[in-house]
Amino acid sequence: MGANPQQYYTENYGTLGKIYIELGFHNLYSSWWFIILIGLLALSLIAASIDRGIPLFKSLKNQRAKKHPSFYKRQRLNLHQGSSRNTADVVEGLKKKGYKVKEDDNHYLFEKGKLSRWGPYINYFGLILLLFGSMLRFFPGMYVDELIYITEGETVQVPETNGKYYVKNNKFTIDIYDEESGTVYDNTLENINETVVSNYQTDFSFYENENMDVVGSAPDLQKVEDYSVQVNHPYRFDLFEIYQASYDNSQMKSMTFQLEDNDDKPVGEPFTIELDNPHQNYEVVDGVNVNIRAYAPDFLEIDENGALISETPVATNPAFVFEIFDSESSELSLIQIMNSTDITENNKYNVKFVENKNHWATVLTLKKDLTMPLIATGFVIFLVGLFIGSYINHRRIWVNTDDGFSISAHTNKNYFGLKKDINPVLRESGYDEILDRDS
Amino acid sequence: MESTLLSISNWLITAAFFTLLISLIPLALSVKSNKKTAEFISIIMIIVAFIMEITYFLLRWTATGHAAVSNMYEFIATFSIMLILGYLITYHYYKTKILGLFVIPLALILIAYGSMFSTDVNPLIPALQSNWLAIHVITVTISYGILSMSAVAGLIYLLKAIPHDEKSWRARMLEVIMAGLVIVLVYIATTLIMKGAVDYSDEFMYTDQRGQTIVADYHLPSLINFEGAIAVEHLGNNEYEPADHFHSGINLPPVIQSQSLNTVIWSVMLGVIIYGILRLILRRRLSAIIKPLANKADLNLMDEIGYRSVIIGFPLFALGGIFFAAIWAQIAWSRFWGWDPKETWAFITFMFYTIFLHLRLNRGYEGEKSAWLAVIGFILILFNLIAINLIVAGLHSYA
Repeated sequence: MGANPQQYYTENYGTLGKIYIELGFHNLYSSWWFIILIGLLALSLIAASIDRGIPLFKSLKNQRAKKHPSFYKRQRLNLHQGSSRNTADVVEGLKKKGYKVKEDDNHYLFEKGKLSRWGPYINYFGLILLLFGSMLRFFPGMYVDELIYITEGETVQVPETNGKYYVKNNKFTIDIYDEESGTVYDNTLENINETVVSNYQTDFSFYENENMDVVGSAPDLQKVEDYSVQVNHPYRFDLFEIYQASYDNSQMKSMTFQLEDNDDKPVGEPFTIELDNPHQNYEVVDGVNVNIRAYAPDFLEIDENGALISETPVATNPAFVFEIFDSESSELSLIQIMNSTDITENNKYNVKFVENKNHWATVLTLKKDLTMPLIATGFVIFLVGLFIGSYINHRRIWVNTDDGFSISAHTNKNYFGLKKDINPVLRESGYDEILDRDS
Repeated sequence: MESTLLSISNWLITAAFFTLLISLIPLALSVKSNKKTAEFISIIMIIVAFIMEITYFLLRWTATGHAAVSNMYEFIATFSIMLILGYLITYHYYKTKILGLFVIPLALILIAYGSMFSTDVNPLIPALQSNWLAIHVITVTISYGILSMSAVAGLIYLLKAIPHDEKSWRARMLEVIMAGLVIVLVYIATTLIMKGAVDYSDEFMYTDQRGQTIVADYHLPSLINFEGAIAVEHLGNNEYEPADHFHSGINLPPVIQSQSLNTVIWSVMLGVIIYGILRLILRRRLSAIIKPLANKADLNLMDEIGYRSVIIGFPLFALGGIFFAAIWAQIAWSRFWGWDPKETWAFITFMFYTIFLHLRLNRGYEGEKSAWLAVIGFILILFNLIAINLIVAGLHSYA
């Protein structure tokens, strides 16, 4: 986080790093050539649909019932019987099985499940929409993915909303499963010997700024509602969603110290320093004062002038120079975490660390994805096409009585099922079972 | 009340395991002699076992309040149940007994493998607390169960179609699959022996990719370990002291689950050795030993089953493994697709079956070619189910 990838890769990997970054490998799925690949895939799907779809449409539309005897012989399923006496029974039987009949003199075409043939084209159409949707993401304004970091009690502006909305973190909670809750989990929790989180939750208040249009004015926040976001339960407003993403308790909120004399006896009351906004002076008991002479929230080093240098402005590793003075004397000491150094000699007092409190901050994800409806619709159409193409079988049966009784049949898949359609009808009409060339 | 339901549920899956095991006897008899009574008995037993397994699933669901698919044991058990479902559906249409002769042992191996993980019920972490857990995982396992039929049919096809003593690549590849099966069995056996019987336990403390301190309990000597791992001994009550355990010195970053990888490496080594010993004793390829089981199969029927189960399983996989998965990922992780290892592998599986169907429909990949692809598809599914969950640390590493 924070580092500029352009700089990072160039500095660490030289020319190779520069090429790597120019080609977008550090962020592969958003790189320009990945988008080009998606576009090419979409184009080839369109081409394939036209190339195959139109001839298929034509051939399925103008089907004729009359077929040459050699056509009958070519089919995997066919049968020839001497007598055509029972043809009417076969026609009725197949009709009852849901076949549509086309008649031409003494030739018949029975057909069902033609929709199956359109499955792949519906499917491709859905895919094209999906690919188009995923390319849309790279247009500005279509996609927002931001983290919102809010310390407990703090109110922050919701980014990407032009200052229209504010959110206040009232409380962040982590719940864990209780080992003695009397549920079936008690044993498991005891066995695994570590805590299992049951809930991450931020209770927040959502505000709208009524003064948004007045340039330069202070925000006038009107509460929209209180809401609790949990994992799996995002908050929705306008076209945005707010998700519980993470939390942070690494920042210190306050530190409490106790002044002691050289015999480790406490002097006065403990005092607490609010690290975000420390007071200058703390009077521990009548006449004895502690002054903060220097403070670094994230201590790095002491410079030549004796000032404390802070690495960041965030209170993660605080250090202080305290001046302790009473009516008689004044002394200085440097206090860091786990370490204290006397600056003046023969100090009378020690500053002892008592406890610290940390800030609890919640980390929320702000998300807007206008491409999602298109991608979801595309995928739903894709699935519909897939199910139609896979679960429906296109079955065609040809019958004629030119010379006795001839029958042949074709399907795009599942000949087994087709035979199960035909054979009972043939049997009931007094004919033999249809012959399968492949078995 | 709940714990009673759990006990009944656990008893049921054990009973189902043995029912399935015994059902193999009448099934094998019916394949050998075509006896209708034997076939009837075996199918009834399989149906009874399946009902017991479904009851196990529902009782466990009732007892815990969430679908029994939330950890490795539950997931693998469900996969095994769906294999039986897949077989019963196939049997309903095609009345094939030989397929069962292969599917049932596979389902049994899976249950045995699943029970190597903790069989305890566990509470759901926040990300899993959603109705989509049941919807997504159950659809995926059903699709896996059906897709697996294609692989089993493919394997039977290959066993019958390929002469076992042929000096060819296809015969050698088939033998590699047999060796793979031996490795899987050795994997299960070693873990059962070392963890259960020998109680071998070397503990190592390391820091995982999220910065948490974790103790890994090695049940096999450590050939490969986590970066910065320290050998420790558990003193009880969350206290550890440094100890001296065997370690080869090879360490990997914590995104790789070295502990699982260690078991895999041991299994491959031991599996290859045991395979070698078997070859020495039998003096034949293992495929030659199993081949007689497949010899009665109807190749056309196997090809038909291989194709039909992909046609039926693949749309279900797209629905459950991609679409439902994406909806849930959007709700739980705020993005519908994020190239997490499991997501990437689901995509690979999806693309593989897409290619399978295109090759079959446009290029006439039928018979043996189709059978090979079906077997490879199953290996991809197993890899996703096992290796991605266990070896690569991602959002789906729940076990």
